[in-house]
Amino acid sequence: MGEPAGIGGEILLKAWASEGASLPLLFVIDDKHRLQKIADNLGLNIELTDYSADSAAWADRPEALRVVHSPLACHQPPGILVPENAKAVVASISRAVEMTQTGKAAGVVTNPIQKSALYQAGFPYPGHTEFLASLSDPAPVPVMMLACDQLRVVPVTIHLSLRDALTALSTDRIIEQTQITARALKRDFGIDNPHLAIAGLNPHAGEEGSMGTEEQTIIAPAIQALQQSGLNVSGPHPPDTLFSARARQTYDVAICMYHDQALIPIKTLDFDGGVNITLGLDFIRTSPDHGTALDIAGSGQASERSLVAAIRMAARMAAHRHNSKEPGND
Amino acid sequence: MKPRIAITHGEPAGIGPELVAKLLSEPDLADLADVVLIGDPHVFALGRQQAGADWQMRPVDPDQPADWWAGDGFPLLALETIAPAEVQLAAVSAAGGRASLRGLDRAVDLTTDGIVDGVLFGPFNKTSLHLGGMDVEDEHRYIAKYLGFTGYHSEINMLDELITTRVTSHIALRDVVANINQDKVIAAVQLANDTLKATGMERPRIGVAALNPHAGDAGNFGTEEIDILAPAVKRASEMQIDVNGPWPSDTVFLRARDGLLDAVVTMYHDQGQIAMKLMGFERGVTIAAGLPIPVATPAHGTAFDIAG
Repeated sequence: MGEPAGIGGEILLKAWASEGASLPLLFVIDDKHRLQKIADNLGLNIELTDYSADSAAWADRPEALRVVHSPLACHQPPGILVPENAKAVVASISRAVEMTQTGKAAGVVTNPIQKSALYQAGFPYPGHTEFLASLSDPAPVPVMMLACDQLRVVPVTIHLSLRDALTALSTDRIIEQTQITARALKRDFGIDNPHLAIAGLNPHAGEEGSMGTEEQTIIAPAIQALQQSGLNVSGPHPPDTLFSARARQTYDVAICMYHDQALIPIKTLDFDGGVNITLGLDFIRTSPDHGTALDIAGSGQASERSLVAAIRMAARMAAHRHNSKEPGND
Repeated sequence: MKPRIAITHGEPAGIGPELVAKLLSEPDLADLADVVLIGDPHVFALGRQQAGADWQMRPVDPDQPADWWAGDGFPLLALETIAPAEVQLAAVSAAGGRASLRGLDRAVDLTTDGIVDGVLFGPFNKTSLHLGGMDVEDEHRYIAKYLGFTGYHSEINMLDELITTRVTSHIALRDVVANINQDKVIAAVQLANDTLKATGMERPRIGVAALNPHAGDAGNFGTEEIDILAPAVKRASEMQIDVNGPWPSDTVFLRARDGLLDAVVTMYHDQGQIAMKLMGFERGVTIAAGLPIPVATPAHGTAFDIAG
């Protein structure tokens, strides 16, 4: 469902209207009356039907969108946050995860949530990802990856000021995030011997220490340790040339040191086709790489491209995980 | 009237001579500018051979600039800065640095004397420049020193119609935060504004990039946007400059690409360079902005790995 005041419902319905038949087998956890209303407002002729566990029977009506009804507490106009509905938002996320745990779903695609609305309702987690991690016991370390057709990036520090990101950056953190990424590339992306390119932090990767020493004191020791553990890791690479078309041919993922180092290239390459993936969880999780866009919610303007890419990505990852021989696959 | 441009070959051991040779083969060059080549004839000839080009050079009398653009072939102001045997492809050398600097000196002289309107130099190798006698941080500071110019100047990166200026440049990321203040942001905004106005643009639209992710997300991820950048943008707009921001740095370049901005003011080196190199690595131009004379060079280096 995601934030019901946002664009989640409409991009889902637009995705189904334009690509429904070609999308992977999917069902929706949302308020079916809300979805019907959005479809009517946008003039989309979509048949909604109740979810049934027997997915083989879905083939009889492939054009119908399966909905696990997750009712909202009260009327929800687009663009306006209604704190009473926060509970339903959280419930739909928990329900999705539970369905992966009971084998009813191979992965979860989450629509964007509005953190401020959830905080008001007492949501104790910093964000979506931390909440998802808490649903496994013990809670794993989640890793954020962003992917488009041309590039995958993992920022090892995320939602911190630049000042705090510099403090948070450590050899251990780079090692941990890279190891989790490497394992996911093998298990969920079918890449047997992934090449992970580690970005430098400073201009020209510090140029031998003349413009910053973190490459020598923090990043190089991490690379050395990762290589000793048998991983195919290179770097630290000068950040401004790491993302060129030629450089991108040489690696499977760029491990980035701070948020914008990862986000600038991915947004520049593909503004609305990027997918946000959480690695390291017990289940597959993807989401579109944008927010709730409250300002345009209800207008039908929002692009469904990123959500479609997230759905396809989740299906591909689930297939790889299903076939994977990696440990932890049981 | 067409502008007159002095072109130097830059580092003889790199790709500069070859690129100059290819430039001179461009059929529409004659419509854009009158050029004069400055440097060693054998270096230009080497580039011509590397490029497989067949244009002609015509040595000119240094004392008769009025005659330079009359006649066939490209006018060549011949210098003797490096012996043919000293040109070792892909090798750093003091001789290469000296050749780079002497050509640049002469081109700058011609500009200050009013004989040409601007300078285009082939890529330099920084180590060669230092070995060859450059005693400042980079070629931009070298030109400023040569000119005796002490005012504010800075490297500008240009891609097609878009330019970027930087508040900080070749310093550690850790030092960036301490080096950002309102006055420096305003100076970078003014530099972008003045540079574009000098090209004839009436009212350049300038966007300022944020320092922190999501432009600080209303103070949740850093307060520099609130404390420094927003007030600087306000002050700059009070100076009749069309400036806006701070914008999240992962989307500000998309605004520019969509034609909403003519310039982006970035806070640190890679913020601008990652996006600019992705949007057009092969079309980037570096401008030595703020100097009294126009000076430009390709955005890339000497590419020793493919030189020759």
